[in-house]
Amino acid sequence: MDPGEQQVLVVIFDVSPVWWGLKSLQGQAHITKFFDSLIIFMNSYLMLHSDNKLAVIASHSTKSIFLYPPPQAGNEQNSSEYGDCRDKHFAVVDNAIISSFKTLMSDGCEEKDMRSDSLIAGSMANALCYIHRITQELESRERASSRILVVKAADDAASQYMSFMNVIFAAQKEHVVVDSCVLGQDSGLLQQACDMTGGLYLKVPSQYAFLQYLLTAFLTEPELRKDSLVLSRTKSLHSVDYRAACFCHRCLVEVGFVCSVCLSIFCQFSPICSTCETVFRPSSLVLKSRKKRKVPSRSSSPCTDASIK
Amino acid sequence: MLIMDEDNEKAYRWEGDYEKTWEALREDDSGSLQASIDAEINKAKKRRLLKKQRKVRLGMMRHIFIVLDMSQAMTDQDLKPNRALVVLKVLQKFVENFFDQNPIGQLGFIITRAKRAESLSEMSGTSQSHIKSLMKLSSEITATNAKSCTGEPSLQNSLELAEKTLKNMPSHTSREVVVIMGSLTSCDPSPIYDTIEHIKMQKIRCSVIGLSAEVHICRHLANETGGTFGVILDQTHFVDLLNDHIDPPSGMATDSSLIKMGFPQHIPPHENGKVSMCMSTKQFSVGGYYCPQCQSKYSELPVQCEVCSLTLVSAPHLARSYHHLFPLPQFSEIQYARYVHQGGREQNCFSCLKNLQKGSESSVHQCNKCKTIFCLDCNVFMHVTLHCCPGCINSRCEI
Ligand SMILES: [Zn+2]
Ligand SMILES: [Zn+2]
Ligand SMILES: [Zn+2]
Ligand SMILES: [Zn+2]
Ligand SMILES: [Zn+2]
Repeated sequence: MDPGEQQVLVVIFDVSPVWWGLKSLQGQAHITKFFDSLIIFMNSYLMLHSDNKLAVIASHSTKSIFLYPPPQAGNEQNSSEYGDCRDKHFAVVDNAIISSFKTLMSDGCEEKDMRSDSLIAGSMANALCYIHRITQELESRERASSRILVVKAADDAASQYMSFMNVIFAAQKEHVVVDSCVLGQDSGLLQQACDMTGGLYLKVPSQYAFLQYLLTAFLTEPELRKDSLVLSRTKSLHSVDYRAACFCHRCLVEVGFVCSVCLSIFCQFSPICSTCETVFRPSSLVLKSRKKRKVPSRSSSPCTDASIK
Repeated sequence: MLIMDEDNEKAYRWEGDYEKTWEALREDDSGSLQASIDAEINKAKKRRLLKKQRKVRLGMMRHIFIVLDMSQAMTDQDLKPNRALVVLKVLQKFVENFFDQNPIGQLGFIITRAKRAESLSEMSGTSQSHIKSLMKLSSEITATNAKSCTGEPSLQNSLELAEKTLKNMPSHTSREVVVIMGSLTSCDPSPIYDTIEHIKMQKIRCSVIGLSAEVHICRHLANETGGTFGVILDQTHFVDLLNDHIDPPSGMATDSSLIKMGFPQHIPPHENGKVSMCMSTKQFSVGGYYCPQCQSKYSELPVQCEVCSLTLVSAPHLARSYHHLFPLPQFSEIQYARYVHQGGREQNCFSCLKNLQKGSESSVHQCNKCKTIFCLDCNVFMHVTLHCCPGCINSRCEI
């Protein structure tokens, strides 16, 4: 759109060994097929503009690894002989991604890697740092529009909630859009991330739809989606659950009590906060109830009159 | 707009007062200035990190009135293009930062000119409305060529106007006033010492930022009510003084209590096609947040329910404050040579892949928990914006 604007895209690919392993055993999906689609998508993205910047992060269950750019960027290898008619630039990118992906896949899994969730939050934190660096390195008059595309397979993990929230707020502050393409179960955390950063959240029904979804929905830059009827509508279709869970029983609450010192949420009143051990002065309770009575009586008199008539 | 964009690294010397930039720069042996420039930048970054280290205390339901002097004195051009425009511009940034750090806090703006005090924008928790009225005021000033800044300010009238709203705020919240004063005089209808005494009784904390010089009554007001007093040196210093009010004041006497809050669910427009009125903006719309107690509708959170006075927030609003509770510990800085000596093998920053060997900073920054190493830029970014360590998340260190 704006020719001076540079696009930065970080793709996060969930490579959870447990999820992909199960799917592969059931014959439902194979990671390499999805990976191929992703490569096509990334090539298409690079083709849109020669300046487009790309990074790819693999999110494993115990590590998150940059597949591209390779860590030792700088020593350009002699990349002229690739034999096929691919553009040189694409060939370099593809080969780098594929070779680091192969290394990752052949590394194998240990006992400790057998977890049902992936380190999406950690990968997103790395993505934000990388985007931060790229935007810092830009010339002062150039602007960047950056986004993160999360291709998520495994389930959400409650243990990552806090870091996930921190990452979302940082993304929001840095004007980074978070898109997510979910292969497995719906992810409440990613729904919130997309909603809060103005990104697109899509659940892919099957392997065959994956590439089509990538190319039709996620190739379009966020700024241009606003003008597209279809793409701008999808965002509001999901109702995002912003309810809070209490710290004491982990149940969702509509009305709760919040400690004014540490903002912990409780579903019932208790005289002492279990998180920060603040003792709530009984006087503050009395004050509060007295105030409650006072406020409506002061403001409601003209109001109720009007409503009766 | 003529004002420079001082958003980011305003503390660079050549952006601050450009008359003296060369004094800080020294050529190196090869005659290049680059090393010296980089050293200056790194110093500024480190200063920003140190500032983050201060302990924050969480009296986080904050209510602040900002009193803006819009009198004749604000047309002074010691800040370019003039004081009023610079203050308004800086305040817009402040509003954003404030709500970032105080998600369930509230701000209000009062302007004082021609011996009067009037409300510029009411006490509320939405940044957009404040920024809009600040922008409106600044375009008004540009359009009238600062003719709208007239007469003398009235400290007393402003304080009384602020008090009227603040005294209704619940006792567990903080009540604060920040006065930005350009004038050296104040025109008050009755003895101001009585007002100050009164303010003190209401536990309202008043701070004053002077744009010209120290005024006795301002210092007295700040001292009496437990606030801070400062006179600015230049624009950067003004930003610093103002930003001191972003973090909750430490040691402030606020009652701790358990506050009842509602967490409304968002009903998207297509699910409930009925048009209803948003109780805070008084505008009709489809969908929104419904108060779980009385079912009145709001289009934005956080808000205090107009009908049943329940505070309505969403879970992410509270989550936004968690970094106060679990601050990211400082990283330690190690010389790269020493890091290698100790057996470190990483050559690149873990998060942004920047090569750590070359470049002006020959040191690495290590998280003490997960032992991952980062570059200086990422260190600053993690402590100022991200509030978590990617290395710790990735190695699943418990916070
Ligand atoms: Zn509970
Ligand atoms: Zn507590
Ligand atoms: Zn209500
Ligand atoms: Zn870095
Ligand atoms: Zn760490």
